[in-house]
Amino acid sequence: MKGSQIGELEELILLITAALYDDAYGVAIMKEVEQRANRSITISTVHAVLKRLQEKGLLNSRYDGATSERGGRRKHLFTVTVAGQKALEQSRELRNSIWDTIPKVAFNND
Amino acid sequence: MTDHWLLRWLERFCDPTLWEGIQGDLKEIYAYEAETIGEQKAKRRMIRRSIGFFRPAFYHRQTQLKNSIETMLRNNLLITIRNLRKHKGYSAINLLGLAIGMAAGFLILQYVAYELSYDDFHTNKENIYRVRLDRSNNGEIRSQWAAGAAGIGPALLEDFPEVINYTRLHSSQVHITYDQQFYNIENGYFASETFFEIFNIPLLSGVDSLVLKDPYTAVLSESLAKKIFGNENPVGKEFKLSNAYDVLITGVFEDLPDNSHMDFDILYSFETWVDRTDPSARTNMYWDGYLTYIELLPGVDYKAFEAKLPEWILQREREELEKYNEGMTFHLQPLDQIHLISDFRGEIKPTGNKTATYFLGMVGLFVLVIAWINYINLTTARSMQRAKEVGIRKTLGSFRSQLVGQFLFESTFMNLMALLIAALLVLYLFPHFNAFAGRSLAYTWPTQPAFWAVFGVLVVGGTFMSGFYPALVLSGFRPLVVLNGSFSRSKKGNNLRHGLVIFQFFASLVLITGTFIVYKQMSFIQNLDLGVDIDETLVIESPRYESDSVYSSRFKFFKNLLTQESFVRDITRSNAVPGGSPGWNAGGIRLLTQNEAESQQFRVIGQDDHFIDFYGIELIAGRGFDKSFSTEASNVIFTEKAVNLIGLDEPEKILNQKIEFWGDTFNVIGVVKNYRQESPKSDFDALIFRYFDDPEGYYSIDISSNNIREVIATVERHWKDAYDNRPFEFFFLDDHYNEQYKAEVRFGSIFGLFGGLAIFVACLGLFGLASYMTILRAKEVSIRKVLGAANNNLWLLLTTDFLKLVGISIVLALPLTYYLMDDWLGNFATRINLDFWLFLIPAVILIVIALATVSYHTLRVIFTNPSENLKYE
Repeated sequence: MKGSQIGELEELILLITAALYDDAYGVAIMKEVEQRANRSITISTVHAVLKRLQEKGLLNSRYDGATSERGGRRKHLFTVTVAGQKALEQSRELRNSIWDTIPKVAFNND
Repeated sequence: MTDHWLLRWLERFCDPTLWEGIQGDLKEIYAYEAETIGEQKAKRRMIRRSIGFFRPAFYHRQTQLKNSIETMLRNNLLITIRNLRKHKGYSAINLLGLAIGMAAGFLILQYVAYELSYDDFHTNKENIYRVRLDRSNNGEIRSQWAAGAAGIGPALLEDFPEVINYTRLHSSQVHITYDQQFYNIENGYFASETFFEIFNIPLLSGVDSLVLKDPYTAVLSESLAKKIFGNENPVGKEFKLSNAYDVLITGVFEDLPDNSHMDFDILYSFETWVDRTDPSARTNMYWDGYLTYIELLPGVDYKAFEAKLPEWILQREREELEKYNEGMTFHLQPLDQIHLISDFRGEIKPTGNKTATYFLGMVGLFVLVIAWINYINLTTARSMQRAKEVGIRKTLGSFRSQLVGQFLFESTFMNLMALLIAALLVLYLFPHFNAFAGRSLAYTWPTQPAFWAVFGVLVVGGTFMSGFYPALVLSGFRPLVVLNGSFSRSKKGNNLRHGLVIFQFFASLVLITGTFIVYKQMSFIQNLDLGVDIDETLVIESPRYESDSVYSSRFKFFKNLLTQESFVRDITRSNAVPGGSPGWNAGGIRLLTQNEAESQQFRVIGQDDHFIDFYGIELIAGRGFDKSFSTEASNVIFTEKAVNLIGLDEPEKILNQKIEFWGDTFNVIGVVKNYRQESPKSDFDALIFRYFDDPEGYYSIDISSNNIREVIATVERHWKDAYDNRPFEFFFLDDHYNEQYKAEVRFGSIFGLFGGLAIFVACLGLFGLASYMTILRAKEVSIRKVLGAANNNLWLLLTTDFLKLVGISIVLALPLTYYLMDDWLGNFATRINLDFWLFLIPAVILIVIALATVSYHTLRVIFTNPSENLKYE
């Protein structure tokens, strides 16, 4: 088991996988990242991150849904595991708790 | 398109559980892009995208692909490591030998490369030559100068169109004063204004052609500027030269690198020197001590140019030269070779030695080659043990090329490991080696592509050569012969192996004998009777005063203080002390009865009336100086050699003769026995002693105390009382004298060290080889023992083979060593004879070492219970 900490890109892809429930595979995730986060990402990077997340036990995967545009190849579909869900919640809570402690004056930039 | 070769490769590379998803995604994107941006672009992007998948994350470790390179290498590595582990001892010997050889080879080659790198940094070096001078009388060379005649530079520029520029340097050992502080400058020079145009020595401030133009200007080295002025800008400031002349600082130059034959702290303008002496300093052909460098037109053949000079100088100076029957021969030295080829009067700093450098290079190669030979020997000797492996591999269908590959892989692996160990050794040893060799090699590491190329080729070539032969031998075994058991003792490769062992011992023996003879010669000349007593003598450099009377009275005061100290036995003053050729070289000296053409050159020591007594020089005719005689200043004393040079055979014959010395007449009052003014490396010199009331240069003090520190402190205290803050520079004469052997002593110890290493590595090899040879014969020995052979006979049986090899190598090494050492000893005026025993002792040592190495194994086999070796038969 690799460390349970997840990086920024990992978190983003994990979130998107959750959002795309049941249609989360390489190309779809890539497009989603490009549209939502407005950043360009290569397909190989997406796959590498997915593999890493799966090794950390945060994702499950199965093969399904062959189409003709994929040359009859099935999609490698990912779903978030319970551990993945916990990791996402944890990082969200961490952020929220820090947000709560920021005094109002900190962002008064005048 | 979707079956592009890159995708097929990717499929092989990729984890199969991921492959379908990846492939599908790639195809999906391609299909989309082919519609939107066109097939061509889509294809290119697809290829780029696929390349992105060749990363470790997708790599599938368990890929089983027959004949793939990776599998082969992994298998080779596995076998190699198993073999290393199985024979730890031999592997260690092999690795250690290789590593030591490589480290030693690296260090030595680095040293050699450094010696060859001198003055390479001058961009115009191909066109710059130093003009050095030999002066002769009656056709015989009398003095050899690096720093020759003052006027040669301008004369060449005037008469030869191929000379486009010149610069000259004249040494100046004076002190300078700034802000009440005295600084002794050992390596100051007067330099022509063209100096910075010719040499690549960057000025940190000042303009190349202007800094040395006017009289009483000077440029300082960066470090001297720091020492005197700290962080202030020295340019525009003035200091006092010899406490008398104001000199303006016009620039600062970057310190010279160590690998230059030049080294200065300060350069004064040449016009300063002209102004202080005489305008003829610009053109005089009979004042020596001027280093002259000329720049030739690009493409001029300097040898051809040099060949024109004898005729030219004869034309130009015919009258003077014929009058005194003198000759001047000029030689051109290419700038970047000066360090290795030059060692004459007036060098800027001690130079290197070409022969010694090449010798060392050879030693380095020897050590390296010996290490590789070890590898070959050990590997082929072990081939018997690997023979079965080879046989079975072949039976199972291995190609010969695959076996060669396996063995080459092993040798590459070993060499790489050894290289790694060698690199660590070098990193650790480098500072020590630097101190040992007296050089600071580290500076040039990154800047010598040639060195790296040579070393790289050596390592790669050596690896291949040492791996290739064993690979061929091992892979050549025939399975049937190997496996049916008849292949127990093969004569195959014996000759080569023997040849290699002979070479190893040959090389080692040359090195030990060489070391031994160098050592003998050095201790011989260091124990020679010098004819002069240099022990327990403290020498102080005299202060410099412009006024003679002040100089004289201050010394009386100083002497008075010293003679009250109980540890002072005696004091003398002279302008040269033993331990170097006197700086005063005087030509044109003859007996009044001789004509000018018979005049000769002598070295002269000006001295007070104590010098001869003080230094224990033996008077063999006439008397010594005595200051109570008022005419003593026009009297001289000769050494025996000087008597001979002037043309007389008996010392007595020269007494009361008059001689002509630079326009004055002197009377010879005495003759002293020859003594070693210079080191015994050179012959006795023809010396003339002249009397002065107050000679400048050195004060020698004979001391009788062992408490050196207190002596120095006391002397320095008195010095301060007598001379205020004049710099107090002192040395002990025996140290100073021994400095002259430093290069030889260092050469001897480097030679000894690497000779020792070579022997050690060679013995490692012999040790391994002997071990295998005896193991192979273990059964034979046991059977002989059972049948009643005596132990000593068995020992003889097993060791004679090796002794024969050692014997042959001794026979081969003798003539080469004799030739080399005879050549080296030729550098010395007094030398040991190459007696037979000088060669016998190293040979005996070698035999003993070899016997001990071999016997360790043979005796072990002999004393093993025969049943141990025979129980499986």
